[in-house]
Amino acid sequence: MSPTLVIMRLTVREAVRRKLVLVLLLLSLAMVGLSGWGFDRLAHTRSVTSGEVQIALPQALILFMFMFSFVVALSASAIASPAVSAEIESGVLQTVATRPIRRSEILIGKWLGLALLVAAYAVVVSVLEMLVVDAVSGFLPPDPAAVAGYLFAEGAVLLTLVLAISTRLSTLATGVLGVALFGSAWLGGVVGALGTAFKISALRTVGEVVRYLLPTDGLWHGAIYYLEPSGFISQRLAAEVGAGGNPFFATAPPSWLYLLYAAIWWLAVLGVGIVSFARREL
Amino acid sequence: MWPARSADQPASGPSSVASSVPLLERAADVLAPAPGEADPFVSPAIHTIDLRKEYRRTVALDALSMTVRRGEIFGFLGPNGAGKTTAVKLLLGLVHPTAGEAMVLGAPAGDVETRRRIGYLPELFRFQGWLTAREVLLLHCRLVKLPSGRWPVLVSEALSTVGLSDRGDDKVGGFSKGMQQRLGLGVALLGDPELVVLDEPTSALDPVGRHHVREIIGALRSRGTTVFLNTHLLEEVEHICDRAAVIDKGQTIATGTLAELVGKQSVVRLQVSGLEGRWWEGLRGFGTWTAEGGWFVVTGIEATDVPDLVQAVVTLGGRIGAVVPEHKSLEDRFLELLGES
Repeated sequence: MSPTLVIMRLTVREAVRRKLVLVLLLLSLAMVGLSGWGFDRLAHTRSVTSGEVQIALPQALILFMFMFSFVVALSASAIASPAVSAEIESGVLQTVATRPIRRSEILIGKWLGLALLVAAYAVVVSVLEMLVVDAVSGFLPPDPAAVAGYLFAEGAVLLTLVLAISTRLSTLATGVLGVALFGSAWLGGVVGALGTAFKISALRTVGEVVRYLLPTDGLWHGAIYYLEPSGFISQRLAAEVGAGGNPFFATAPPSWLYLLYAAIWWLAVLGVGIVSFARREL
Repeated sequence: MWPARSADQPASGPSSVASSVPLLERAADVLAPAPGEADPFVSPAIHTIDLRKEYRRTVALDALSMTVRRGEIFGFLGPNGAGKTTAVKLLLGLVHPTAGEAMVLGAPAGDVETRRRIGYLPELFRFQGWLTAREVLLLHCRLVKLPSGRWPVLVSEALSTVGLSDRGDDKVGGFSKGMQQRLGLGVALLGDPELVVLDEPTSALDPVGRHHVREIIGALRSRGTTVFLNTHLLEEVEHICDRAAVIDKGQTIATGTLAELVGKQSVVRLQVSGLEGRWWEGLRGFGTWTAEGGWFVVTGIEATDVPDLVQAVVTLGGRIGAVVPEHKSLEDRFLELLGES
């Protein structure tokens, strides 16, 4: 087994041993169950017309998925922030880093292990949620795989940034910074959407810049887009002034160019993390 | 307990005191064949030239030059804050030098592949608390890429060597500091490394544990493993080291065998009667004579000259009541060196 895979295995094992996976799964299953009950009530309430239900179901699902995306992102930040810094602080890394293993292999191994956890969580939770909603209300988003993929991509982007920061700052500082940056990116997305809806170019520019600085919100909008059924976008735009400014609404999926940019961003940040860790004195 | 290393490891040869001799000459001296050495072309286990490390404005290590031969137990002595751990970290590539060079087992310090042949017990020994002791050792078997078929045997052997056989399946998080240090020693010894670097290996151990570690180091010596022992415990160095370096304020202030470090010259106290006239004039060559109570004290005499001194006194008509040689302890010399530095 290559040293990178040894570290990846160790990282996954730690999350399982520390009961992180179990706690996340149990909590998420409870939330999926609760949302299933809610969707069942929504779809079968007599006081709501079928037309209203058709609009309400996707909107409610987007809100639920936002909550899951929030959990995915924050979990990614929480597990990545101590990944390097806590092991430097405790001294655990000294025994590993003096073995025949490169620093880059340690960092990539950790990234792979954490990314595997984020991917498993994003896929299991989003697919389960969509299946439960489909079972109780008959509504299935047009592309569930794309939703799971964007949810993972959003988590992976934040994970990479936090892991890179973790090579230099303390666990606490890294964790706080990760959450703050994620929140800022989401807020930047809201500001940009408002700028687009009400044609305020300064706000739109701020939104665009933030979208490129940290592509979490841009990728989350990909998940939103693929949660929306056909005809939903035109209905919303026609029904509501400024609907484009709603942070839980997407009129188009991220462009290929943006996805390419996000991939380059990810590679660049991972590269910075690797160089930073290689130069870090333990 | 430990299999003897094959013939590619030379026995330790005679040592030389570090002096103002140019470094390259000193390195050449080390590389030159010495009596008992099997392979004259083998590189030193550790060789540093003017190794320097600065942390912002603090100089942690200043021009450290030393050579550790293959197969010897080398003590690295110094008071707290002298730069010992910084030197160890430099040798293992955990930190990068500001200036100078360090070669370990013939490769630049920190070389990834060479680390396969090095075992290291850090001063700050911490392991994954959520793993069992056996799992920690298995992790290191994987990292060192030892043959997987031998892992169970190697792990059991390591646990037994450090006295943790009955705790192998317990989580490391529940271990006392002493047990963690024992485990660290087991990790450092995995895979029969050529060089074992031990940074304060007995700091958390009780006297029995310390004795045990000395025995383990003795076993390493017998199979030809080089041990670099970083410590501030003089008794450890006195008991087990072949040679030692003393550092202070980031600089080497003395290097050599223990006899060389302590100094060949010692003190002899004599009880003599029957001497008359200016008898001491013929005995000045042995050292400086002073009178203390009923004793004559000769300082600066070499230990090998004591029989000649006794002979000379008797020849001059002296009757010797007692001869008491007094050797300087390593502690005396250590304090003296620190005072001089």
